Amino acid sequence: MTTTGRKLYGVAAELPTAADLFHAAEQIRDAGFKRWDVFSPFPIHGMDNAMGLGKSAVSYIVLCCGLTGTATALLLELGSALYLYPLVVQGKPTNIFTIPAFFPVIFELTVLFSAFGAVFGMLALNLLPRWNHPLFNWDRFAAASDDAFFVVVEASDARFSETETQNLLTKVGGTNVTLIYDED
Amino acid sequence: MSAAAHDTPTAPPKAEYFRYTNLGPVLFGLGVAGVAGLVVCIIAFFVSRDVFLFSWLFALMFFFTISAGALFWNLLHFAVDAEWSVVIRRILETMTRSFNWLWLAFIPLALGAHHIWYRWMDTPLGEDPVVDGKRALLNPTFWAVRTVVYFAFFFSVSYLLRRWSAKQDINGDPGYSTKSRALTFGSLAFFGVFVTFAGIDWVISITPHWYSTMWGVYIFAGSAWSSMAVLILITYSLRNAGYLEGVVSTEHFHIMGKLLLSFTVFWAYIAFDQFFLIWYANIPEETEFFLTRNTESWNFMTIGFQVIGHFFVTFALLLPRAAKTNTKRLALIACWVLLMHAADLYIIVNPFLNGKGVRPLTMIVDLAALATIGAPLAILFLRGLGKNSLYALRDPRLPESLRLVN
Repeated sequence: MTTTGRKLYGVAAELPTAADLFHAAEQIRDAGFKRWDVFSPFPIHGMDNAMGLGKSAVSYIVLCCGLTGTATALLLELGSALYLYPLVVQGKPTNIFTIPAFFPVIFELTVLFSAFGAVFGMLALNLLPRWNHPLFNWDRFAAASDDAFFVVVEASDARFSETETQNLLTKVGGTNVTLIYDED
Repeated sequence: MSAAAHDTPTAPPKAEYFRYTNLGPVLFGLGVAGVAGLVVCIIAFFVSRDVFLFSWLFALMFFFTISAGALFWNLLHFAVDAEWSVVIRRILETMTRSFNWLWLAFIPLALGAHHIWYRWMDTPLGEDPVVDGKRALLNPTFWAVRTVVYFAFFFSVSYLLRRWSAKQDINGDPGYSTKSRALTFGSLAFFGVFVTFAGIDWVISITPHWYSTMWGVYIFAGSAWSSMAVLILITYSLRNAGYLEGVVSTEHFHIMGKLLLSFTVFWAYIAFDQFFLIWYANIPEETEFFLTRNTESWNFMTIGFQVIGHFFVTFALLLPRAAKTNTKRLALIACWVLLMHAADLYIIVNPFLNGKGVRPLTMIVDLAALATIGAPLAILFLRGLGKNSLYALRDPRLPESLRLVN
């Protein structure tokens, strides 16, 4: 792979086991890096702490979407049944006390909007969807969905330095330390 | 489990025993509360037998649901071979010790049965076709036999689980875990059936004309919910008193908080289901139960405590992650949950007596009945807690539970 004239994306390394990846993550976190990621074929419990990730913002998106769903259902149901077209059905009054009849829809819309918020919010926070990723330029990387563990520090990190970050990744136990370039 | 788990050796756990020192004032306070409650109950018994009996039924259901819930979590632990709950299992086991004595609290109800379940017990054959149709289930002999069977079942299952757990502490035989699991699979179905029918026999058969297929689930949802709150409170108190240091972590509280939240939603879901279908269909013979509770001052109780307090407030309180990881906040929410569970049972039981509205004065008897049954059970719990180590010492899954990450 030629590298001339291409933008540097970051530096990547391979770790032999999940435990090594876990400890490497702790050291990179302690070194103060912010824009970096780890890749493994399966979820590793406690990795978010080892990476110092903190709490995901997706729950706030879900809450906002859920409340929007509740408000939409209330507006559509109460607005039409109480004001626009009041109609006595099954002897139920056309006032706020009919609200139990509307609960299933309120519930469903809240859940539906929350689920949309969770899925699409998660995708948006992960900067997805996208056509390609610089890491796919690295032939080793395909094994991330099979049997290999990777750590990648991005060049956009404030603490990134081409040589020192490579040294750090070797120090934390990484092999195959490789510079990853973005295609233009 | 966490990747760190592979190479982090854990020291063999040391036994930790609950000490009685400093407990004197607590035991004294419980004793005073129990005696005072008993005095009020005896006075109430002579003033109004019905007020006393319905208060007693309310208090019995409160502690029965909590105990049944504790047994449920214990059974669930073995059924799914859980890792996280190993460290708090001993507390659940000790909570189910209440079944050793809870049957005693049922005796006043059995003696006064004709004052509570009179609508089918005292109806002669041929007078009420609806009750006649249910005679196969609702006849005093079978009812008494069932009640005995329930208590025998709850006592023996919880006793065996406790015994095997304590034995495992001594010889470390993992066979006790498999044995407990076998017992769990043998008894889970019976647990479901017996909790359902206990709810039907003791509470809802007071209105033999009313029926709801959700009733058993309703009682069960309240049981699992309230016992999780009690578990959180006890674990929090033990941690506060300096026990279980390095054994129970914030991660365990986080899981307990999540279960409390999920059962808040579960209860609301099935409670609303039960109400909704009956309210919407509006068929006279089905509405009896809700008609009483949705009129007069009971309507405000229902909306205030069951709809807003039991669900909306608890849901909002438990929703943020910080509410589940901040143990003090979680313990405060658990107190609120217990209050709401008591209010829920009160709205179920009391309107059978006071159908025209809340009678605040009779609440004194309700509180007294709670104290009379609760104080001995609390003393029993504290005594039982000291008998074995505070957590299952040699459970094969203990290391995983200690290193819990969620």
